[in-house]
Amino acid sequence: MSVSFPEKDRKLVEEMIRHYPHKKSAIGDVLYLAQKHFGYITPEVELYVASLLDLPASYVHQVVTFYSMYLKKPVGKYLIMLCDNVSCLLCGAEDLLGRIKEKLGIEVGETTQEGKFTLWTVECLGACEQAPVMMINDKLYGNLTPDKLDRLLDSLE
Amino acid sequence: MSGKEKKTVKTVIDGKEYAFPQGTTILEAAKSVGIEIPHFCYHPGLSIAGACRMCLVEIEKMPKLQISCHMTVDDGMVIHTNNERVKKARKAMLEFHLVNHPLDCPVCDQGGECNLQIYYMMHGNYISRLRENKVKKTKKAFQIGPHVMLDQERCVLCSRCVRFCQEISKSNELGIFQRGDREEIDVFPDMQLNSPYSANVVDICPVGALLDKDFRFKTRAWYLESADSICPRCSRGCNIEIHYNLNRPWKNEGRRLARLKPRCNLEVNDWWVCDEGRYSFKFIDDDNRIEGPLVRTDGKARNTGFKEALELAAESLRNSAASTDVEIAVLVSPRAANEELYLLKHVFSEQLPGTRLVFSSATPFEPTEDDILRKKDKNSNTRGAELMGLTPDSAQVWSLSELKDAVLAGEIGALYICYHDITGLPEEFSAGWAEALERIPLVVYQGTNTCPTSEKAQIIFPAAAFAEREGTVTNFEGRVQIQQKVFEPLSEALPGWQIIQSLGVALGGSYEYESAEEVFADLAKNEPAFAGLSYEKIGSGGFVAKDAKA
Ligand code: SF4
Ligand code: SF4
Ligand code: FES
Ligand code: FES
Repeated sequence: MSVSFPEKDRKLVEEMIRHYPHKKSAIGDVLYLAQKHFGYITPEVELYVASLLDLPASYVHQVVTFYSMYLKKPVGKYLIMLCDNVSCLLCGAEDLLGRIKEKLGIEVGETTQEGKFTLWTVECLGACEQAPVMMINDKLYGNLTPDKLDRLLDSLE
Repeated sequence: MSGKEKKTVKTVIDGKEYAFPQGTTILEAAKSVGIEIPHFCYHPGLSIAGACRMCLVEIEKMPKLQISCHMTVDDGMVIHTNNERVKKARKAMLEFHLVNHPLDCPVCDQGGECNLQIYYMMHGNYISRLRENKVKKTKKAFQIGPHVMLDQERCVLCSRCVRFCQEISKSNELGIFQRGDREEIDVFPDMQLNSPYSANVVDICPVGALLDKDFRFKTRAWYLESADSICPRCSRGCNIEIHYNLNRPWKNEGRRLARLKPRCNLEVNDWWVCDEGRYSFKFIDDDNRIEGPLVRTDGKARNTGFKEALELAAESLRNSAASTDVEIAVLVSPRAANEELYLLKHVFSEQLPGTRLVFSSATPFEPTEDDILRKKDKNSNTRGAELMGLTPDSAQVWSLSELKDAVLAGEIGALYICYHDITGLPEEFSAGWAEALERIPLVVYQGTNTCPTSEKAQIIFPAAAFAEREGTVTNFEGRVQIQQKVFEPLSEALPGWQIIQSLGVALGGSYEYESAEEVFADLAKNEPAFAGLSYEKIGSGGFVAKDAKA
């Protein structure tokens, strides 16, 4: 198999497995680790994860395709996930979306040419009290305004 | 059952009280008293998924309807399988199942044997309320393996096929991918559904999502008739149904046998067959069937009718027997039915005493074996031959290589070959035989299909295939099972036992069996291993012969 974790990640996997009564229960964690390490999860990565957890590859593929936050395709360095559910929409998410599209020159689901940004819209992020909100990679940004958004995007290397 | 008997519980189903063993699911319990509860995902051979919700029933004192495939009967339970509430739920479930289902029935090969169709007519029958567009799936009429075609839109996501691949074939090719209304059945990317048991998913798919590539569009299911038989392709002897069509010869290129389907026998094959067995029937309607008795003179074969061919065979065999320098040999086939083997044994030893019996279980097939069903011995009746002392374990019976040595030494004056295509066997068995056959003054061949070996014979008898004659075969563990006669033998072909009997008569004996069953009755009388057996006793499930060692 051509893909594999470096030694330290393999240690992590072992630790993850120890958390659960069944080896297969670690699948979520291990996939997330794989995503971090390989960028996104290809069938090849699924085969590798399957071998680590003694699972059929088809089982791993079921899990990966069930959850939208496992990436099946490469994304930019910064993955923008803008909430477009009701609270955020009421608080101006639509304007923000237009602003991002215009600024980055991409549509929802697309990645900028140099590979820096990918834009997604997502369901409620569970942070309605800070609406409108978005996540960039692992970090949540709330109470957004167009200005704040501009500054934020400009500040990213 | 080992240990103590299971407790019995009293349960009321649809107003009547019954006693069931504790732990029986409501669905199975109802079935056992003749009440069919509709279901998609439940299959007795697989784990319980509880995915389709078609099997909902009402249990008194429980607020919600329960799935009967999972809930077990218990003392005092009062169950309704068909009241208004249940019917309404069923109808609603069907509506869900049909939300994204295409209107394919007229062009779908499952038509006529589709549970979705059947249940809709029985339990649905509503006018569609749907205004939305259906969600389209990508793979339609898409080949996912050597035998199976996938149509994702027709799938009701019952997961039977997935569980089969996980639990039975353990090959894990299939999964349900994506989520919600985009959920779809598929093989893992770039994988093929190619386990040796792949086509079983076609049988268990309740709808037309997984179809048999071989059978697809050959004929409609409702034109088929069915007869019980035993798979001839290995010594497991899986129980099968033969589906055939005689009334519409313009279908399926005139082939009578349309498909084989597994028939459940928990002692032998559960609900399954392997793909090798499933597609092993093609030879029956092949163009190369031997259709009449042939006599070859100066390289030209001519159909002489049975009478002349039998007389010629008898005369030639007797001449050969008269010579003191050479022997007569009979190559016995482990694919012949017990009845035929029995007559072979008697006719030759009685009419041509001293005839040398030869036995080989070699076949042209790969000796595949696993711990699911397939057995290395690719013959249906090796065990039957063994129990009648026709295998080289008995000192008088030769192996193929002993025969070859004798042939090359010029000691064989005549060879009667049953079914074996010696020259078509793997190298280790066939080596030298093309030449050796030429050295035998008289070769008689009895078989179903023309082959290089039959081409070397001077006299050829057309034998009925397993589906064209009645007979029994004995599987590897000694279980004697019946292969029914499904349809008439092609052209002039005759059941093997009848050919041997006629030859015995032509040789001057008197044999007057009217049916295979009569032969079997004598066999059971004279062969100790089969003592006490009869067709009736064997029935549809088979019966293990007495002396059968495991
Ligand atoms: S393909 Fe058939 S067996 Fe498999 S999940 Fe769909 S409906 Fe069930
Ligand atoms: S396992 Fe043997 S008997 Fe069973 S279906 Fe396959 S070939 Fe036929
Ligand atoms: S609607 Fe946007 S966070 Fe809840
Ligand atoms: S058969 Fe019971 S839920 Fe499907």
